[in-house]
Amino acid sequence: MIEVEGLSKRFGEVLAVDDVSFSVAEGEVLALVGTSGSGKSTTLRLVNRLIEPTSGVVRLRGAETREMPPEKLRREMGYVIQSVGLFPHWTVAENIAVLPRLLGWEKTRIAGRVDELLRLLALDPAEFGGKYPRQLSGGQQQRVGVARALAGEPSVLLMDEPFGALDPVTRARLQDEFAAIQRERGITAIVVTHDLDEAFKLGHRVALMDRGRLLQIGTPESLIRSPSEWMVRQFVGPEERALRILSLHRVADHLAPAEPGRWRMDGRHAFDAVADKPIGRVEHRDTLREALSAMVWNGTDLLPVVRDGEVIGQISAAAIQAVGRRG
Amino acid sequence: MIRRDLAVIALLAALFGVLVLAPGLFEPLLAQLNAPGQPALYDRDTLLNLALWHFATAAAAASIALAVGLALGIAVTRPGNEEFLPLARALSNAAQAFPPVAILAIAVPLVGFGFEPTFIALLAYGLLPVFEYSVGGIRTIPAQVLEAARGTGMSPGQVLAEIELPLAAPVILAGVRVTAAFSIGTATLGSTVGAKGLGEVIVAGLQTSNLAFIVGGGLIVALLAILVDHGLATIGRMLPAARAVAAA
Repeated sequence: MIEVEGLSKRFGEVLAVDDVSFSVAEGEVLALVGTSGSGKSTTLRLVNRLIEPTSGVVRLRGAETREMPPEKLRREMGYVIQSVGLFPHWTVAENIAVLPRLLGWEKTRIAGRVDELLRLLALDPAEFGGKYPRQLSGGQQQRVGVARALAGEPSVLLMDEPFGALDPVTRARLQDEFAAIQRERGITAIVVTHDLDEAFKLGHRVALMDRGRLLQIGTPESLIRSPSEWMVRQFVGPEERALRILSLHRVADHLAPAEPGRWRMDGRHAFDAVADKPIGRVEHRDTLREALSAMVWNGTDLLPVVRDGEVIGQISAAAIQAVGRRG
Repeated sequence: MIRRDLAVIALLAALFGVLVLAPGLFEPLLAQLNAPGQPALYDRDTLLNLALWHFATAAAAASIALAVGLALGIAVTRPGNEEFLPLARALSNAAQAFPPVAILAIAVPLVGFGFEPTFIALLAYGLLPVFEYSVGGIRTIPAQVLEAARGTGMSPGQVLAEIELPLAAPVILAGVRVTAAFSIGTATLGSTVGAKGLGEVIVAGLQTSNLAFIVGGGLIVALLAILVDHGLATIGRMLPAARAVAAA
């Protein structure tokens, strides 16, 4: 879908982006991670030609982007920035409608699209459509920013620290919601972030950048299992490795069938029939890291797994260890 | 809010209308200022005619100042044109550094008496506020808003028309208010070089020691300036950028 080949950008004496190459497949999310000044945002801006490269090429579906008019290119690429950059003189609905309007869509189609996107981002169209950006919280503004970027049905989404300015709780919730929307809609995206956890959470693959160079690229698990020295120094201590790997896996993928008659649900609480006492439980959507934490907390190495209030299986400490162990 | 503004404007306009159309109502009052027998009302021209000329002269100068100042302001804020900003500043500063009276004195030998030298003096003096406010209004737009506009796929023209000008409009309008108030006040000077306007009444008052003429003429000019300023302020509150702020 997107291929970046030998991309470089020089600002005076500084080589901000140095011979960077990667590709992003249809429906894939690539996370570009680095500290500030690593060239990650510059790389993103080279992709939609907000700045022009010194050398190298970017291809969108095989076509070189430098052959396209920049405005046309950007209309194919939704763009979300950290500070949101909502247009303060327009309502939420007008902000979301901007690209469809520029593309000359019919009014009814635009209105339908705005409603659809507001609902998708969990904002009530009747309540929020007529509000101005100033009247929204940071999290709501960010949702509108994402909705605006999706409005023109872009083939790819470029996100620069999309959830950077939010408090940790709102941020985690928006990350989860975005991951769900991305899976459901098969959105192709490049996400720039300085936060390795965010990169691991959102990216199917993660590219590490430092001083303009792309150091390492791979799936989150492959990066954690064989981190470059640089990555260890910058981001992950080796002692955290196993836990980070566990946080990449869901309980649902590692559960075993429940022992017959062992668990039963008593309202919202689980009950262990063998030990004859209430017991903690994990949700099938939880990560293995959360499951491990629940085990430590409950002083057990076996927990029931619950989905929609029903026990659907059990997870053991041994199964968790097998996933997180050095491979 | 807007309704109250409109009510104030209607009131001011009515007062102005009565003063200009039926000055006779105020004659007993103004006559108190003068010696017995001295005329209290200017009668060499109708006040309506003078007021219209006065307004037209000021409006023409302010409109052209807006057009030129805004065009200059837009030009020097385009990427790559930053180096012209000091030059444009120097020019508009220089234009304002000359007192209007001095410009009148220079302009009369070149373009003759009447409307033209007055127009030139007002234009030169009114350019700076509009230009500076335009530059200021455009330059204070947050960088990320412009980045988002470009990133959305707007052309430079669309960014200007859809984002920059609407967002800068309240500030630009503030500049227009400064220029308009100034133009209406200073247009009185035009009467010294033969331009038609309300200054005629004041000048006549000064020449004949007629306090009623001076006060009456000054009152109408002041009222016109306040009326126009209120009108512009109300327009400013109806701009989309101002409405967005008011809603928050």
